[in-house]
Amino acid sequence: MRGAKVTRGQWLLLFGLALPFLVARLYALTYADLLSDPKMTPRRFASFFRDFAWDTHPFDVQDPDQFLATRTGDCIDYAVLADHVLRRDGFGTRLIRIEMIGKDMGHAVCYVTEEKAYLDYNNRMYSKSLVRSSPAIRAIATKIADSFEAHWTFASEFTYSYKTSVKKIVMTVVETDPPGTDPDANRYTGAGAPRS
Amino acid sequence: MRDKVVTRVLPVFLLIAAIIVCVAVAAVHNINRSVTGSDWVNHTHSVILEAEALKSDVYLADGALHTFVLTGNPRDESACASALADADEDLEITKALTRNEPAQAQQVADIGGMVGARSAFLNGIMSSRSTGGPDAVRKALSDDAGGAALHRIKGAIERLKNSELELLTERDKASYLQAQTMRYTVWIGVVLDVLLLAASGWLIQDDINARRRLAGALQDANEKLEAKVKERTAELEASNARLTAENLERLWTNQALEHQLRYNNLIVESVSDLVFVLTKALNISRLNPAVTEETGFSATELVGQPLSRVVRAASRTSEDALAEALGASRQLRDCPGLLEDKRGGTRPAYASIVPLRDRDKVVGAVVTVRVDRQAPGPQK
Repeated sequence: MRGAKVTRGQWLLLFGLALPFLVARLYALTYADLLSDPKMTPRRFASFFRDFAWDTHPFDVQDPDQFLATRTGDCIDYAVLADHVLRRDGFGTRLIRIEMIGKDMGHAVCYVTEEKAYLDYNNRMYSKSLVRSSPAIRAIATKIADSFEAHWTFASEFTYSYKTSVKKIVMTVVETDPPGTDPDANRYTGAGAPRS
Repeated sequence: MRDKVVTRVLPVFLLIAAIIVCVAVAAVHNINRSVTGSDWVNHTHSVILEAEALKSDVYLADGALHTFVLTGNPRDESACASALADADEDLEITKALTRNEPAQAQQVADIGGMVGARSAFLNGIMSSRSTGGPDAVRKALSDDAGGAALHRIKGAIERLKNSELELLTERDKASYLQAQTMRYTVWIGVVLDVLLLAASGWLIQDDINARRRLAGALQDANEKLEAKVKERTAELEASNARLTAENLERLWTNQALEHQLRYNNLIVESVSDLVFVLTKALNISRLNPAVTEETGFSATELVGQPLSRVVRAASRTSEDALAEALGASRQLRDCPGLLEDKRGGTRPAYASIVPLRDRDKVVGAVVTVRVDRQAPGPQK
């Protein structure tokens, strides 16, 4: 019995369908591309990561080009990259890390002051990639913990340098402490102040 | 007007509602405390984990330094620096976690001092390795022989862990007591509610029984009333039948009296004697046809006229006798007199008077006049 013969038209159709994927594989996004993008905004930044996979890395934070080339990373890779790219474009960014000891996990996001929202790697594939929140660390931590249906234990604002690979804790808020004693308690007043 | 049962049961239901609300408030309060307790447990574990991480990072930095001293490889130097940075991060977080617990905060401060000293020592060796050569490094390492500083750090971290574990034990005990209190609260609330519900049920049952008794009494009273009404109706029916019979008899009597009256009238009108009905003042009020026939006066001409207009006494004595007899309320028979007709002629006649009485009082009289037919005709 003879096998089915594929016509030239069918080959062309298959090639046409595969072309976008081939182009995407050939065109690898780089750290430099992101830094030089003149139209960079938090939403635009998030749009580059919609098809990225999630995986942890043996080192705390991946090299940005490695992250972009492998299209695989975790929350802190995404948050730190967003912090570096958006800060360069003039946005006020803050790196926030929270720990949920009861769930034995931590998470990191990049808060963008102008947007009053944070970029979360877990929301990268959604059209609403920015999560609105009050700027207080306690409020951000509560919102993130809610998204995991967990209690948070402590949350820190930190900085990270690709050059030295060193994280620096700016301040830490502890869930069991009275909100009034939070290190950022007096920083945000009015509508943005934490309520609890 | 409010029903009595409502007045009795309403406070009981309000009390039940108040107990339910109190139990609910206590339960919510307890849930919040449980969440807080859970947060504290997580917090304690977090302190222990961070302290462990700090210890690991210090040891890691120490190991990386020794490797760097042996190999001089920059990657080992970088690993040592990275481990020290991580240790610094762990220390900062541990400080933050214990800043509201004075005893633990002091312990962390002590650990921080020791880690800082160890970090300075390691950085010094790295500098010596890069600038001073092996002798300087060897001297520095020989000063640290036995790793006494590391043991002190380890011991301090262990003490911190132990104090955190004691806190954990205390919080676990508090959580257990809290749960126990909540159980008692809920069960006491449930038992009280059940008792109050039973009491309200008893009150309602009592009220239902009272209503049943009342309804029974009302039914008995209605039955008695109905019996009395039937008895009274029978009496009234009998009375009505008797009155109907009496009315019928009275009707028959009246009819008989009417007949008798008509016969009497016929007799009076048919007699040849002249009959006058007089008032007390001897004025004529009625007369029979024989008067018209004998005198020529019509009834209308004589009614209201004195009797003397047609009947005159034969003497003064006779006239007085009629008046006296009427005044004395006695009869007088055949008193001689004269009957005068319309033409003025007179004829001898005899008058008799019978007084008319209403009970004992004389109200008039009936005068009958018999004309003397033997005497000659009317004289002018």
